[in-house]
Amino acid sequence: MANRFCVSLTCAKDNPDKATVAFVIANAAAGSGKETLVFLSIEAVRLAQKGYADAIREEGFAPLKELMESFAKAGGTILVCSPCFKKRKLDENSLVAGATIAGGAKLVEFLSDGSPCVSY
Amino acid sequence: MGDAADRAAAEWDAGDTGCGELVLELRFRLDALKSGQIMRLTARDPGAPADIPAWCRMTGNPLVGGQPPVYLIQRKED
Repeated sequence: MANRFCVSLTCAKDNPDKATVAFVIANAAAGSGKETLVFLSIEAVRLAQKGYADAIREEGFAPLKELMESFAKAGGTILVCSPCFKKRKLDENSLVAGATIAGGAKLVEFLSDGSPCVSY
Repeated sequence: MGDAADRAAAEWDAGDTGCGELVLELRFRLDALKSGQIMRLTARDPGAPADIPAWCRMTGNPLVGGQPPVYLIQRKED
């Protein structure tokens, strides 16, 4: 059984349901002892900005901000797609806990070493 | 449930919490126990009967007893 798990997320406020469920699953992986990576690309890179996720509260789930904080507390890694981030002119000095800006090579390395990946 | 329930060192009523929220909090709480100690978990989420045994298999923390919604989970050896 692989000891790594990846969640790829492309949505933010444009689909808060997907954004929330992605972190619920990521927390299931982290809580199960997996080295867990959330890869944020396209609109999801906005979630890496402090404060952005504060208003996302899907019915039936914990607030997204809490889910992301729990993920970081569990040692989860958030990689933020560099070109997606730059395109949106976001602030690299205001990242949430656990987030790092990275290019595609970092994702490819993680997956190539043997990791399942689920996408939202 | 018998002996294992009697020996539970910690108890957590997770209520309707489920999926990632349930197992992540369970990990935090079990990490706080010593090796061999038992947690008595009550989890009423409809996914828990499938998720909790799977979580126990993945993490190596044995499910030593209980019947849904109660699960007796032993903290694994370090």
